[in-house]
Amino acid sequence: MDKLVEVKGLKKSFLIQKGLGAKRYLQAVNDISFTIRRGETFSLVGESGCGKSTTGRLVNRLLTPDSGEIWFEGKDITKLSERAMRPLRKHMQMVFQDPYASLNPRMKVKDLVAEPLIIHTKLSARERDMMAAKLLEEVGLGSQHAERYVHEFSGGQRQRIGIARALSVKPKLIIADEPVSALDVSIQSQVINLLQDLQEEHGLAYLFISHDLSVVEHISDRIGVMYLGSLVETADKDTLYERPLHPYSQALLSAVPVPDPNVKRERIILSGDLPSPVNPPSGCRFHTRCPSCMEICKQRVPEFREVEPGHYVACHLYDEGAQAGGKS
Amino acid sequence: MTERLLDVQGLVTEFKRGSSHIRAVSDVSFHINRREVVGLVGESGCGKSVTSLSLMRLLKDTPGRISGGKVLFEGRDLVKLPEKEMRHIRGNEIAMIFQEPMTSLNPVLRIGKQLEEPLTVHLGLSRSQARERAIDLLRQVGIPRAEEVIHDYPHQLSGGMRQRVMIAIAIACKPKLLIADEPTTALDVTIQAQILELIRKLRADNDMSVLLITHDLGVVAEMCDRVIVMYAGRVVEEGTVQELFANPRHPYTKGLIQSVPKLRQKVRRLESIPGNVPDLSQMPQGCKFAPRCAYATERCHQEEPGLIAVEGSTGRKSRCWLANEQTWEERGAVTDGQAG
Amino acid sequence: MKDQPVAGGTQAVASVQTVAPTGFKQRFGAFMRKFLRQKTAVAAAVIILLLFVIAIIGPLITPYNPSKPDYDALMEGPSVKHLMGTDEYGRDILSRLIYGSRLSLSVSLSAVMIAAVLGTALGLLAGYYGGWLDRLIMRGSDVLFSFPDLLLAIGIVAILGPGLINVVIAVAVFGTPSFARIIRSVTLSAKENLFVEAARSMGATNARIIWRHIFPETVPAIIVNISMRIGGAILAASSLSFLGMGASPSNPDWGAMLSMGRDYLSIAPHIVYFPGLVIFLTVLAFNIFGDGLRDALDPKMKS
Repeated sequence: MDKLVEVKGLKKSFLIQKGLGAKRYLQAVNDISFTIRRGETFSLVGESGCGKSTTGRLVNRLLTPDSGEIWFEGKDITKLSERAMRPLRKHMQMVFQDPYASLNPRMKVKDLVAEPLIIHTKLSARERDMMAAKLLEEVGLGSQHAERYVHEFSGGQRQRIGIARALSVKPKLIIADEPVSALDVSIQSQVINLLQDLQEEHGLAYLFISHDLSVVEHISDRIGVMYLGSLVETADKDTLYERPLHPYSQALLSAVPVPDPNVKRERIILSGDLPSPVNPPSGCRFHTRCPSCMEICKQRVPEFREVEPGHYVACHLYDEGAQAGGKS
Repeated sequence: MTERLLDVQGLVTEFKRGSSHIRAVSDVSFHINRREVVGLVGESGCGKSVTSLSLMRLLKDTPGRISGGKVLFEGRDLVKLPEKEMRHIRGNEIAMIFQEPMTSLNPVLRIGKQLEEPLTVHLGLSRSQARERAIDLLRQVGIPRAEEVIHDYPHQLSGGMRQRVMIAIAIACKPKLLIADEPTTALDVTIQAQILELIRKLRADNDMSVLLITHDLGVVAEMCDRVIVMYAGRVVEEGTVQELFANPRHPYTKGLIQSVPKLRQKVRRLESIPGNVPDLSQMPQGCKFAPRCAYATERCHQEEPGLIAVEGSTGRKSRCWLANEQTWEERGAVTDGQAG
Repeated sequence: MKDQPVAGGTQAVASVQTVAPTGFKQRFGAFMRKFLRQKTAVAAAVIILLLFVIAIIGPLITPYNPSKPDYDALMEGPSVKHLMGTDEYGRDILSRLIYGSRLSLSVSLSAVMIAAVLGTALGLLAGYYGGWLDRLIMRGSDVLFSFPDLLLAIGIVAILGPGLINVVIAVAVFGTPSFARIIRSVTLSAKENLFVEAARSMGATNARIIWRHIFPETVPAIIVNISMRIGGAILAASSLSFLGMGASPSNPDWGAMLSMGRDYLSIAPHIVYFPGLVIFLTVLAFNIFGDGLRDALDPKMKS
């Protein structure tokens, strides 16, 4: 199938302590690989600090990776300069979690929505206003709001403005970083529906970043589960939710509260807290909390392997000759 | 009938905005039985947090005040209690935990100190007894290395650990009622599962009642015996968790349940409630949900319904003119068996 | 447990109150309310306004020609005829002060404006780009800062030669680092705004981000600093004139008037008193006005 984005062996760490003493690095993203196909929704799911947002910002090169490769439409963009990236960003717009902070409060709605048009097109002010009005209608806000400022809008309406803005230059990919997490339940479903409608209409691909497994299941085609900077499992939606292989994916899925009092599930409750990404555990990063931890897990980093077509997992349980692996 | 621990009757709380008063909570009534977990559910701005603060009379530092109603706790009206007696009730008989434990813990005091204070003040323990009890409490809430953690400051702990410490402080004096205001909203799912498990265990061990305030219907379904749904400062529906999820009798509850994506549900499109929550200062006339309601009739826009008892079940109420109508789509099929 | 009420309380209130207004009209309204509450600042604003009116319509209200000597009335004390007396050439001091206000205000205003433009540009560049550019600009301003203000100005005028234009340049140069520093620090926090990252993600150029998204955030700081610096600039310009490095003594400049008057301090102190008093009041008014402006524009102050 046609690959839109391909990410190979991406690594990124942040310097968190300078000055006296040894430099300390926070390993935000550690050797991850995935692809996003045209028109599909690929989700990255995981808990806070797992590196999913950093990954999103690496893909559109708001951040520069330490190593690894990023390909967009068959072009290696890993080492492109900021100047060379700018025209490409037309095709990879972003929607943020916080619709309050990501929209400049000093700008009118029509100017916010038209900003990518100013940057990437040579349309006249009149043409831009018309486009903005059309986009506002498309996201269900109504063009009569064009002259207002964002503070007059509720969270859900602001997120619609953010989506209209991302849509304005007809991107091929939208990176949506927790786009519905800040919204109330009844508003959340409105925005999810809107995202799906727009995808159908425009053939967009989404890189959808979220911690909410229910939302992710609803919206995704394929999903990658992240833990402490690493991708532990990637699979298409149905495979992952019906047969999760990695113990972390299993625990995560079982921990989701189900809004149905009649469903009583066997819950895997993980012990302990997330280890610090500054000083991650040796071997498999999940081994400190893993219910089926083996000796080898503490020593060797598991390989991210394709165990069945399209289903990748990084866990020693699924090594070739898995049971022997534990003893060797 | 089981004994009522808390009985809220017609609570009204108003906030001053400029020269006018805004009703954040209007005419809210509900009760909590002993050893019961009651969920108070609603979206932001529905008045659920203000309700809990009103129960605890913690509005003093805000422009809000209780302007009507009773809060009967074991028969005593907390609204009329002198501040001194109220202080005794707070922490001792009713304890509260919040969404962000960092803002409720004192950042410059060690964990041990913060735990021991209520023990020495409320229970009159000596310092060494209090220390021992503090370590014991931390163990109860599942904190490993408790004897080391009492020497830590709050910022040295993770979010989940801080919430555990808050819970330890809350249960220190064996309260009869624990009010938990979005206790897991700031936490990750796997940590949330740990904390919910802990609250469930402590409730059973200590014979506590719990008022769980949350927007997360999943948490409600897993934790609660009974549910109260709030919208625009009002209680719109009340019922046992089973009945409420199986057969919501208020269009808002129904919309809320349907708009949450559920695991393995496999629907193509989510149901959603159109529009936005009305501003408290610009409330519509009639039923406050009518502008967003698919079933609204002329009457709904004119006249606000009271809490109407649902026929055929005890204690179920809905603030909807159609509470006992069978005219909603799908409704007949779902309810025929139970409502008759 | 003691902190709980406050913490929980504010959360609850936040959900009841409307969000902070951000439209221009609302922000301006909130600013005016906060400013008008400060009585001394309002008084200072009135004095400044008066000063500008006098400077503008000066020639219409002066009782005498400020440069015309009157040898029949040398060094006369205040009287009905000459409200503030006359100087050693018999020129009316009130008229000279009124004409002098044009000179003093235009010299200090243009100097501060130049400093504001230069300093803001440097501060935006240093704060936004960081790295070597930041270090270069900041070390440069440290060097300028390490000289006592006036000494630096004297040095500059000494190199460029005396004259009003050179006074403007000198005062502007020593005002620039303060703008650069303040605007740099505002820029550092402004560029952390999520909407700045959003603009980058859209593909906006650095120039666009700085101009459209960061500069508007620095405007309040610029306005406050301008008003705070004008007082100092008047003082500096007057000092340079006093030292004979600015306006030529024949010009009705406040500093030059002081300078001329000091030779007659023992016999005709009023020649010095009135210019001194005017300089003092003007500088004080600008400083109080600047303080009031800062407090009113500070988002941390409640309205």
